[in-house]
Amino acid sequence: MRRWVGLVRPRVLGLAVLAVLAWLLPYRLNIYWISVADTALLFALLAIGLGLVMGIAGQVNLAQIAFFGVGAYATAILTTHSGYGFWTAALLAMAAAVLAGLLVGLPALRVQSHYLGIVTLGLAVAFLDWVTNAPVTGGDSGISGIPTPPLFGIDLSSQYLYYYLELIVLALGLAFGLFVVRTPLGRRMRAMRDDALAAGAAGAEIPVLRMMAFLLASVYGGAAGVLYAGLIHYVAPETFSIADMFLLLAMVIIGGRQSLAGCVIGALGLTVVQQELINLAAYAQLGYGLVVVAVVVFAPTGLVGIPSRIRARWRSPASRGTPANGGRGTPASVSIAQSIPLERVDCAIESDGSAGPGAARGEVLLGVSGVVMRFRGVTALDDVSLSIQAGEILGIVGPNGSGKTTLFNVISGLYRPSSGAVTLNGQVITAARPYRISQLGIARTFQHLRLFKNLSVRDNVLIGLDRTRSWWCWRYICWPLGVWRHDRALRGRAAELLAGFGLSRFGDALPGALPYGIQRRLEIARAMASSPSLLLLDEPAAGLNGEEQRQLAEIVRAIRDSGVTVALIEHNMGLVMSLCERVVVLDSGTVIAAGEPAEVARDPLVLEAYLGKSALPTEAP
Amino acid sequence: MQSFFQTLVSGLSFGAVYALVALGFSLVYRTMGLVNFAHGAVLMIGAYVASTFYLSARLPFAVAVPAAMAATFAVGLVIERVLRPLENKDFDLMLIGTIGAGTVLEAVAIVIWTSSGRGVPSPVRTAPLDIGGVRIGTYNLLVIGVVAVAMAALSLFLQRTKRGAAMQAVAMDHEAATAVGIHVGRSNALAFGLGAGLAALAGSLAAPLLYVSPVMGDSLGIQGFAAAILGGFGSIPGAIVGGLGIGVIGSFAAQSFQGYSDLVTFVVFTVLVMIRPTGIFGERTVNRA
Repeated sequence: MRRWVGLVRPRVLGLAVLAVLAWLLPYRLNIYWISVADTALLFALLAIGLGLVMGIAGQVNLAQIAFFGVGAYATAILTTHSGYGFWTAALLAMAAAVLAGLLVGLPALRVQSHYLGIVTLGLAVAFLDWVTNAPVTGGDSGISGIPTPPLFGIDLSSQYLYYYLELIVLALGLAFGLFVVRTPLGRRMRAMRDDALAAGAAGAEIPVLRMMAFLLASVYGGAAGVLYAGLIHYVAPETFSIADMFLLLAMVIIGGRQSLAGCVIGALGLTVVQQELINLAAYAQLGYGLVVVAVVVFAPTGLVGIPSRIRARWRSPASRGTPANGGRGTPASVSIAQSIPLERVDCAIESDGSAGPGAARGEVLLGVSGVVMRFRGVTALDDVSLSIQAGEILGIVGPNGSGKTTLFNVISGLYRPSSGAVTLNGQVITAARPYRISQLGIARTFQHLRLFKNLSVRDNVLIGLDRTRSWWCWRYICWPLGVWRHDRALRGRAAELLAGFGLSRFGDALPGALPYGIQRRLEIARAMASSPSLLLLDEPAAGLNGEEQRQLAEIVRAIRDSGVTVALIEHNMGLVMSLCERVVVLDSGTVIAAGEPAEVARDPLVLEAYLGKSALPTEAP
Repeated sequence: MQSFFQTLVSGLSFGAVYALVALGFSLVYRTMGLVNFAHGAVLMIGAYVASTFYLSARLPFAVAVPAAMAATFAVGLVIERVLRPLENKDFDLMLIGTIGAGTVLEAVAIVIWTSSGRGVPSPVRTAPLDIGGVRIGTYNLLVIGVVAVAMAALSLFLQRTKRGAAMQAVAMDHEAATAVGIHVGRSNALAFGLGAGLAALAGSLAAPLLYVSPVMGDSLGIQGFAAAILGGFGSIPGAIVGGLGIGVIGSFAAQSFQGYSDLVTFVVFTVLVMIRPTGIFGERTVNRA
């Protein structure tokens, strides 16, 4: 607790000082600089929206300037043409911006990365084309005569007083944004940014989250547009140009896209720099371009990332030899891995018995029947049928390329099989999306670790723990306190779970900084956090040393004893033989044997296809 | 019917230029995995250099264009060297880094050539051909021909030469490429330089069709990138088909919707990308878990 107090105090104090400074700032500014400040605050609001969609949710959005434009133009049209009052128009304009956001977000359901970049940029160009041509937007000359927003008799035609309106909106926007980032919605978005596939497999509804990200961006864009219309009283196409979109992007990247505070700093800083250099025209542009390139090359995490980079550099010479930067497999990290006590795994897992209705021990929990999976001519799975019985530990073995991982991918919904069916408790789940399958109670780990690399160990586990559906997010608007309480409850359970898996001391670390064996353990903890009825482990022992393998076996037994069925793919035959009650052998996409380990080990087909002529129970390659 | 063909022909000749721009994007992406948003600005520099040689130095057009390509090749090498730390990093950084480089180039162009643009007279002065009432400019035919030759030469280079194969290997896995003895840095520099040379070719060919100005690369760059995506990013036949496609869509949109041609083009483009995200010749990739 003392540590907490020590951490929070300076931050609160710093915020208070900043707030006072921001409040006093207009007293020191002349009329020119107050208008610069007003513009800077609007860009800051826009940048928060862009930071949320790009930096937090990882969705490339080059149409943020169009959301800004929709908000501004809608306010202008509704106040001047339709004769609405300013605030009524403002509300409708926000609705229009949100609609635009959802439309621009639609392509994100199908494409990502640079594809999404060009599509959103194209839509921004399309918007610009529309406003420069349509009669209702006044074409090139734009719309003038937008009224000043009335506000309880405060004269907002004064740029000084308007500054305070913007400041309050920005503060609220920033507070809400930070609240989102640190609670379940933002956490899922960050997980989606780091690894959409793993986030989906952990139960995050990826399509909904992507739309939600664009929705948030458009709310900020729309709000900035409304405020812009009320401030300048005039809108014209050149304010919403592609060059301004790139300027906005530069603000977000330079400030630090993964931190909302960074976005604000970038926006305020670049606006001021731009204004300082405005009379130098071409040279200003040259300087601005060079600054952008330099920051991207030398400080890829943005300005807010610089202090921690300096600190890391400062510290590294002193602590050379310790595994500060990941040091996978260095002697130091191995000894740490060995010394980590593994306590109370079972009690942490038992703490939650909500694994769904589930089948009684011995009944079929998961059925795979006649599954065929083809990839353009290559048949990875050829008529595979098998069943996983409730309460067992099933081993799936076979040579490399025999289709084991493909089978897991089909079961967990990453692939849709060419034919055949997968059933869970008799319910067909073949065509279900990965998040749906996770919600139904199947959790998995990956052959090549897929942890959320920019989320702390605790956050990684929290992604698994949070079982709410995305529509639950209405509470962010109507009942934020409920969100906060829910998050606090989740954190309590996360602490228990981390303790059970012996991960407590790593709670705040990033996964990449941990020894490999601990990362493996974390992935199992994340999967178990979703209280599944079936756990799929894809080569959980790969890369583990002897002691870690022993601990793994202990963990898997504890998981099974808590009532969770386990299926694992493994090459380490010693482990499979000692751990599994039943073994299924795949070869070239077909099941060639199934049964008790000893029985399967004697099967001539298996010996020939998989193990060659060597004696079985001793060792595997 | 006649006006239909007239629109089609004008779409195809702009489409040939877009195809060349798309080819530059695709080449750089395919050989070094970099999405180069400075491509439009490099194109603009190429157009200025070519027009300066052609108009001020009074060199023949056929000499001015290769000279401009050589100049931008050098510019490309410099940009690649500066942005090398971004290669194989995430897309956001590449995006803003290359946009920054483009901004610098635009500023340089304003400093050297001022912000007012210049018109470039067509180097071919013969009268347009008339085929069944459809008028086809001889220069447009020349453009289509040059583009076809450039495409063929590039595919031969990538598929038949050791260096071309090495470049593609670098894009697929730069670590494995290093392991088999490919000098990744040199390969990437060459790829980027070639991309810049292609941009100069596109820019100097477009100069007589459009108007040379510091911002000419913005719109050409966006259209060319869209063309590359539409055809299938990284694919050479895709760049051709995508470029012609965007050209024809834009030309018909301009004819039917006048000022709204960009709006129509990009809405159609968005719908097409949503229907077929990998583009016409794109590779389907499988998620590996």
